[in-house]
Amino acid sequence: MTKLRDMLAAADPLRHERQPAQARRDHLRNTIVTAASHAYPPLRRARYPMVVPVLVTFAAIVIGMVIIASIWPRNASLAQAAVRFEVRLAEDQPAPGLRAARVASSDRTVYLHPEIVVTNGDIARSRVIPGASPSQFGIDVQLNSAGAEKMRQATMSHLGKPVAILIDGNVVIAPTVKSAIGAAAVITGDYTQADAQRIAAGMTGAPR
Amino acid sequence: MNGLPIAAALPATLSASSTERLATLFDAHNERLYRLARRMVATADDALDLVQETFLRAARAPRSIPTGFADEEAWLVRVLVNIQRDRWRKAAVRRRYDDDKVSLTVVQTDPEAALVAHAAVWSALDALPPRRRAVVVMHELEGLTVNDIASALRITAITVRWHLSRGRHDLARALKPFGVTDDEA
Repeated sequence: MTKLRDMLAAADPLRHERQPAQARRDHLRNTIVTAASHAYPPLRRARYPMVVPVLVTFAAIVIGMVIIASIWPRNASLAQAAVRFEVRLAEDQPAPGLRAARVASSDRTVYLHPEIVVTNGDIARSRVIPGASPSQFGIDVQLNSAGAEKMRQATMSHLGKPVAILIDGNVVIAPTVKSAIGAAAVITGDYTQADAQRIAAGMTGAPR
Repeated sequence: MNGLPIAAALPATLSASSTERLATLFDAHNERLYRLARRMVATADDALDLVQETFLRAARAPRSIPTGFADEEAWLVRVLVNIQRDRWRKAAVRRRYDDDKVSLTVVQTDPEAALVAHAAVWSALDALPPRRRAVVVMHELEGLTVNDIASALRITAITVRWHLSRGRHDLARALKPFGVTDDEA
């Protein structure tokens, strides 16, 4: 049995990550101090003191509405189009109807079933997690209940065989199914933090 | 960092002495706050964002900050935990839609097993209310005593023990598939 304290310590992010670089801390310090010292200068006392705040507030609301109306749909579509996520059952041996695919960062080839088990719409949440080294990052994926059920149904009869996780059509990991897979999966790989964040953020949109 | 217009969140004027105090506060406490923040949120960027928001709160209310290193630190820790509590409550609405998630774990190949376990720990910590998480982190990872935590968070020792007990229980239950036991139970 593992003690709770030991498991918390083993998973402590401060054990796996470098501290923020001094330059980053300096930047944060400068941002805070500069923002404080260059906060809005006091407004001149106006003859009608409420007119300026009211006008500024009104203008800000109008500008904000225009900006949101013009940007929001575009951002939404960009987010949706960011990353295509798929899970497919796979085999270690070729067979008719299966497509060969190389597993990223390895010499291994798996043979993909044509059906997609789950895709972007089945993800409840995805987030970046530290990887095996400080410069590597992974993605923790949580499926919603519908996605988890599809995974469970598909993998319960696929024990001992690989299941392939694809990002933008490339197989990034193909673990062997040792028990029926449910709602959680961790995707590892030689990702930079920026790549992992892009993938994690892009996963929760609709497929391209 | 989220690129928010920081200056807009500050009072119209801040005296030079207040600015200097903010810089001094940052130099004295930013590392300790980052360590706590990092254990309270999912990513390093989120932790830096939380630290930044904490110091901006300090900039907005310079007269509220007590003097003396320990009291300053306790004040900043309370602000940080309260900010995270606010954010957690706002996120609760979104989380409601995820409540029906099934928390099963894919058994990966060996190199991924440790990461799966770590991810399970982070998920379990994420499920704790921020104050309870802070108590667990401060006690289990920072090694603070119950009285130290009570003093820093301005709650009673009984409340700290209650949060610790509930937090450990919830974590042990969530991590049971990994063979975890609550060593203090």
